[in-house]
Amino acid sequence: MSQTSSVAASPPSMRAPSVARRNRKRQVRGTLPVLVLFLPPALLLFTVFVILPMGEAAWYSFYNWNGYGLPTQWIGTKNYELIFNNAAFRQALINNGLIIIVSILVQIPLALWLATMVTHKIKGAVLFRLLFFLPYVLADVAAGMIWRFVYDGQFGLVAGIFNTLGMEAPFWLADKQAAMPALLGVIVWKYFGFHMMLFVAGLQSIDKSVLEAADIDGATGWQKFFRVTLPLLGSTVRLSVFFGVVGSLQLFDMIMPLTGGGPSNATQTMVTFLYSFGVMRMQVGFGSAVGVVLFIICVTLAFGYKRIFMKND
Amino acid sequence: MTETTAPIDAATAPTSGRSERLPTRIYLYVSLILVTALVIIPLVMTALGGFKTLGELRGNPFGLPTEWQWSNYGNILFSQRYWLQMGNSLLIAALTVFLTLAFSAMAAFTFAHVKFFGSGFLLNYFLIGLMFPAATAILPLFIRIRDLGLLDTYWGVVLPQVAFGLGMSILLFRNFFRNLPSELFDAAFVDGAGYLRFFWSITLPLSRPIIATVGIISFVGSWNSYILPLIMLNSESKYPWPLGIMVYRGEFSTDWQLILAFITLTILPTVVVFFAAQKHIIAGLTAGAVK
Amino acid sequence: MAGLELKNIAKSYGAVSVIENINLSVADGEFVALVGPSGCGKSTILRMVAGLEDITDGEIVIGERIVNDLTPRERNIAMVFQSYALYPHMTVYKNMAFNLELSGKSKAEIDQRVHQAARMLELEPLLERKPSQLSGGQRQRVAMGRAVVRDPAVFLFDEPLSNLDAKLRVQMRGEIKALHKKVGVTSIYVTHDQVEAMTLSDRVVVLNHGVIQQEGSPMELYRRPANLFVAGFIGSPAMNFFDAVIEGGEARTAEGLRFPFTASDGAQDGRKVVVGIRPEHFQAGGTGHSGAVTFVEPTGGQTFVTLDLGGHPTMVLVSGEEDIDTGATLSVSAPLGRTYVFDAQTGRRISQN
Repeated sequence: MSQTSSVAASPPSMRAPSVARRNRKRQVRGTLPVLVLFLPPALLLFTVFVILPMGEAAWYSFYNWNGYGLPTQWIGTKNYELIFNNAAFRQALINNGLIIIVSILVQIPLALWLATMVTHKIKGAVLFRLLFFLPYVLADVAAGMIWRFVYDGQFGLVAGIFNTLGMEAPFWLADKQAAMPALLGVIVWKYFGFHMMLFVAGLQSIDKSVLEAADIDGATGWQKFFRVTLPLLGSTVRLSVFFGVVGSLQLFDMIMPLTGGGPSNATQTMVTFLYSFGVMRMQVGFGSAVGVVLFIICVTLAFGYKRIFMKND
Repeated sequence: MTETTAPIDAATAPTSGRSERLPTRIYLYVSLILVTALVIIPLVMTALGGFKTLGELRGNPFGLPTEWQWSNYGNILFSQRYWLQMGNSLLIAALTVFLTLAFSAMAAFTFAHVKFFGSGFLLNYFLIGLMFPAATAILPLFIRIRDLGLLDTYWGVVLPQVAFGLGMSILLFRNFFRNLPSELFDAAFVDGAGYLRFFWSITLPLSRPIIATVGIISFVGSWNSYILPLIMLNSESKYPWPLGIMVYRGEFSTDWQLILAFITLTILPTVVVFFAAQKHIIAGLTAGAVK
Repeated sequence: MAGLELKNIAKSYGAVSVIENINLSVADGEFVALVGPSGCGKSTILRMVAGLEDITDGEIVIGERIVNDLTPRERNIAMVFQSYALYPHMTVYKNMAFNLELSGKSKAEIDQRVHQAARMLELEPLLERKPSQLSGGQRQRVAMGRAVVRDPAVFLFDEPLSNLDAKLRVQMRGEIKALHKKVGVTSIYVTHDQVEAMTLSDRVVVLNHGVIQQEGSPMELYRRPANLFVAGFIGSPAMNFFDAVIEGGEARTAEGLRFPFTASDGAQDGRKVVVGIRPEHFQAGGTGHSGAVTFVEPTGGQTFVTLDLGGHPTMVLVSGEEDIDTGATLSVSAPLGRTYVFDAQTGRRISQN
């Protein structure tokens, strides 16, 4: 404290009791009513419908249970063993991984490429953005149904193309080899617009004068993109990857109208697997165990990803 | 991931900088139009297909219908099920939006302004909800809804939907509230306002942008939602439209012209609203992303 | 209306003390400015008086009441904020009426009081506008109107002019002074701008590191700064300082500059001191000190000249009538009564002026 203090500080022994007496929170009228009225609705709902079910999933996962009465048949970790020995689940894991890979290697570059184009000063740029974003707004179920039609080997557009070329039309969605690639195509169609919009935002937030400085420094278009723009978009790329991963882990709605996970489980994801093997057969214990595995993957990825890649964002 | 970023403004065309040279422009337009074709051809063909006969779908897959089958659309528009499903979706979405806004704004307000023991812990508690989808806990959720007697009711869908949206909504609201100038709070406090008054008279009127954002996110989520209604609802009379599509498709399995007409009519509201309010919708749906 | 008294006010965050034993009494109707560099605790004190910040120790008395545990509303104070903190969604009228509505005043009374305050501040044509439709100066006036309308015991101003441009600041300074004359309410005004503090207030309190350095009328602070900090803070351009040692009753610098002064106490030889002389107190000519002119800043009526006095850059104020060029030699002397000497260790003034 200041050496020029002209006021002597009172000895600590005299100050202590009054500190204890007065050291209290700032008084605002309505603190109690706010705590009592504002927090409980959200807290109650969240606990009952999010936290407790997740805890119960962990509990049920150790039982063989059909959902009626109380879970009594404790089977230890049997459900988990069954899951990992299940070929369909392994396929689901592979498919989820595949979706993530396509999202990173195809969807994000595509989105970035389009984002750089629709941020050019050209007529219609705004309209292009809207059209590209449109599939993202549609319900997954509707998108899946539309593409079921597109891929239909009898009445669909793909059939139309093949017939026009004088070839026999394939039934991709019924083909074990072709179904997953077909599905990946729909995923890119549905979600690239969202990622593009993230990049549009990222590009708009780049200071124009930085790019102008690069121009003055004599950078060509490509050099400007790879040496200036892309490094500045780092956080957007990471965000985009994050959403690709999260989206993959949740994918369900779109698959149901397209393939329902078939043919022979070729297009299962973890959630469709949970639905087909847990919900449809009312295997609560088994389905819960799948949920727990999915939960652990989600949480690990969320934390890991945040820690490793997003710590500076 | 807690800082707020300016909403994504997709409707603003780039204005600064020089116009592009001709070769660049040709390259841009060719690429963009190609991508546009890939994006909208499935949609346009779906809508057109609804005007065709099944035979024409096969024989004339890409052309305009030779004879427009208005009855495909007409029959659906005059059917009760279409309007019932739209109504169900609207009701479920409205309830979801209202409860999400009310509960999350109130909770976020306490997190933003009231110092209380455990507030940091509680906020993180809600943020757990951001990390996993409802699907992970769908079976216990089903059992809970069943035991509460809410199976096959709108609430059985609405309440879990609201609950799983709380994490994101509270985060968005709280960040917005905290970015309101703190001197406003001081001024209101000096003026004699308590928390309740401050919430109602100052915070809410200033929160229209974030109310719109959270409202849009939860509305679109609910309008498009499939898995929760699929599991919680049994009676077809309560089905929202995504379930309705699946039922319709099950009924008319290969009558694609009817299914296409039905799909077109069910996504029509989404498309119309999207183009009417694109600025808000894009900003809203991406606001959750940039958190 | 009422006076205000701070008794042994202290504030700490855990072990970190930000305000130490502040004692201050403000008479009924007095205008007191708290001034100091940023982070000195002046705003914290104001917010403690307002009831926006709890106090760790001590008592705040408004009128006859100890208000420590009262809410801002119960304290009957009004505050003008740095950013004005006008409610952006309310009209000027609503902004001014909000407090009155909350205290349950009748519509007629609210209307009458808002219009009266609006008349006083020439806000009447603006009453239906929103804050976003007002200029900076107008917003400032609305903020004051919001304070006046409630007829408070004490006015608190938290750097209210710092968001305005220089010209408007001078104008609003005048308006605040006029307002205080009209309503005569006890006022505390926090600022980091010593010119603002001196021109506005009856009494200035200089703070540094959460401790009151000196309080007094503006001219008292200027003429008789209690310590080095006040001497350096008050006055513009700032006082020149020279490190020196006392030898034979005068202060000598290492470079051999000699400053005679009148000591009030303890001018024993060998004591380390700091000599302070204001630029405007140097007199040209004389036999004191001479040095080369290194820098000339004409401002019109006066010219700021920087001299090299024994290796020490020294600012001297001379009349604008004189033409002085860089490189010329200038002789200046410091009058005995205007030579301030401070103890180098404690900073306290030991010269008798």
